[in-house]
Amino acid sequence: MTLLLGICVAVIFAVSVYLMLSRELKSVAMGVFLFSHAAHLGILAMSGQPVLPGGVVKGAPVLGTSPNGIHVDPLPQALILTSIVISFAIMAFLLTLLVTTFRTTRTLNVDRLSEEDRPESMSHSVSREVTA
Amino acid sequence: MNPNLIALIVVIPLATGVLCALARRSTPLCRFIGLTALLANLGLVLAMLGSLGAGQPMFVSMMGKWAPPFGIAIVFDGLSGTLLAIALTVAVAAYIHSWNLLPRHIEHGWFHPLFHMLILGVNFSFLTGDLFNLFVAFEIMLMASYALMCLGGTRQQMSQAFKYVLLNLVGSTVFVLTAGMIYGVTGTLNYADLARFVAENEGALPTGFQALAVALLFVFCLKAAVFPLWFWLPDTYHTLPSSIGAVFAALLSKVGVYAVLRMYPMAFANPGVDDLELVRTILAILAGVTMVLAILGAVGATNLRRVVAMILIAHVGYLIFGVTMMNAESFAATLHYMAQEMIIIAGLMLCIGLIEQRAGSVDLRELGGLARRYPLLSTMFFLLAMGLVGIPPLSGFYGKAVLLREGASSGAWWLVGATTFTAVLTLVAIARVWITAFWSELKGPLLDLPEGAKAGPDMPLPLAYAGIGLLVGVSLILGFGAERSYSWTQQATASLATPSIYIDGVLDLNPIRDLPDNSTLALIEPDLQHTVTP
Repeated sequence: MTLLLGICVAVIFAVSVYLMLSRELKSVAMGVFLFSHAAHLGILAMSGQPVLPGGVVKGAPVLGTSPNGIHVDPLPQALILTSIVISFAIMAFLLTLLVTTFRTTRTLNVDRLSEEDRPESMSHSVSREVTA
Repeated sequence: MNPNLIALIVVIPLATGVLCALARRSTPLCRFIGLTALLANLGLVLAMLGSLGAGQPMFVSMMGKWAPPFGIAIVFDGLSGTLLAIALTVAVAAYIHSWNLLPRHIEHGWFHPLFHMLILGVNFSFLTGDLFNLFVAFEIMLMASYALMCLGGTRQQMSQAFKYVLLNLVGSTVFVLTAGMIYGVTGTLNYADLARFVAENEGALPTGFQALAVALLFVFCLKAAVFPLWFWLPDTYHTLPSSIGAVFAALLSKVGVYAVLRMYPMAFANPGVDDLELVRTILAILAGVTMVLAILGAVGATNLRRVVAMILIAHVGYLIFGVTMMNAESFAATLHYMAQEMIIIAGLMLCIGLIEQRAGSVDLRELGGLARRYPLLSTMFFLLAMGLVGIPPLSGFYGKAVLLREGASSGAWWLVGATTFTAVLTLVAIARVWITAFWSELKGPLLDLPEGAKAGPDMPLPLAYAGIGLLVGVSLILGFGAERSYSWTQQATASLATPSIYIDGVLDLNPIRDLPDNSTLALIEPDLQHTVTP
């Protein structure tokens, strides 16, 4: 199961990095959302019972050690839950930012956005776009 | 003093933010609530700092009476208290400054609530004693900063905001993943417990612990704008209104440095643990490269804001250098330097806002002769800039001198060389600004009117001057009272050189740790919330 989760995490990370390298801000935003999902899955894969140096298995907090592995440590799941809530808020903000950016600049293309920043380098970036 | 009062330091900005959101239709009311809250918070921090002493190194509050390491510790010690006091001073100065210089359409929006939420995040980051809680504090701070960056909504702001948001999102995601993994291999997220874990498992640290330490360093370096993760900082800071820019420059990057200062000497780069040598080497290289490259950028920049931003980054390199030496003197010098630098960088950003308002530009090629026209502004700029360079009676000298001395005695010669080089080039960058913008012919889009035309009287901006004056005053006090302020920072950073002070301070509240069988809840003592007495 851990191996399966590990593979999932790796694939999602790869997809999200691919999306984040795109020139369209929409895809970049999707990449960021996937990135946080991959991180959450990664924490889930790490959870269970921490094995400390010396082979000591640390049990769930508060209840103390549970050597038979009856209780799964709930703390990583609490971390994921908190992090999911935060990433919801950020997702909402990022989408709002996308909409506002589109309204003010009429484009969501990274090249065109940076063109407007530096008018003197406009010819340069236009030629790059053509070759791309 | 009741340690639970620490919670107020976080609750006050939260309540203020909510109140300002409710009262946002009335700017005077918002300003009144906001300033009162900031001053009350500053007063509380100063009072708590005053009651810290040799007998009582820190206040610890366990929320909900959960014993550490299960509960979330909120720790107020000399280090966090000093930085809180400085941060709140900067916030007060920038807040007053904003009343004169922040454009109305921005202030009428959500500026006031967002500003206090930012302060909430900063205060919480300084106080928390738990790695995951630090992530939450960072998120609060960043969320407020994202929104503050977009206020006004110009084209340039939007494209820069997207870059800033994306980078920080990647940083946060790596942070949460690393925190989860650190929990996975150590079974704890409490700073003190992590430090104890590292010290106890010397030579037998879990596989990948170094990698996690470096991944966490990536996150903090991104926040602190350390090479090679600095590129976002100069671009974003110059799209911000100066009052907001000052708070960003002084507080946001320093929170990252604080996290490194707090956690690396104690846990992730513990000098007593050989396995972590790699992390210490990485820190040293980052420090050297950051300061040299950033200061070259400062010398080459023509935009005044960019000059200050690059100098800020170079001086983050100094602070990291101070952390790498890992001894009591260097930590004290780092804290002293960091405190005065926060004040000075904020002061310079506020000065630049005033210059922009008066002269109509912050481009060095378009400015000149400000010293004759605005003697008060120029004097303040000069005092701050010379403090940054470290001319002896002013505040930057003392910390820099101790850092160099410690560097020389610990044999880190190439870093001492880099530090000296940076100090000299800081002087060059500042001198260049001074000569072109403040001396020479009077010049500036709003200043050099055609012959015969008489310039209208300037709008008086007393509050903007008052804000800068406050920071100049604090920087002079830190400089002229260096003997006392330095001995204070020595006391405040004692727990960094001797982690046992911090570890015992936080974990001794936990009576169940030492019991052989910790499987029942009934053993938790009823009164866990008491102050630490050695």
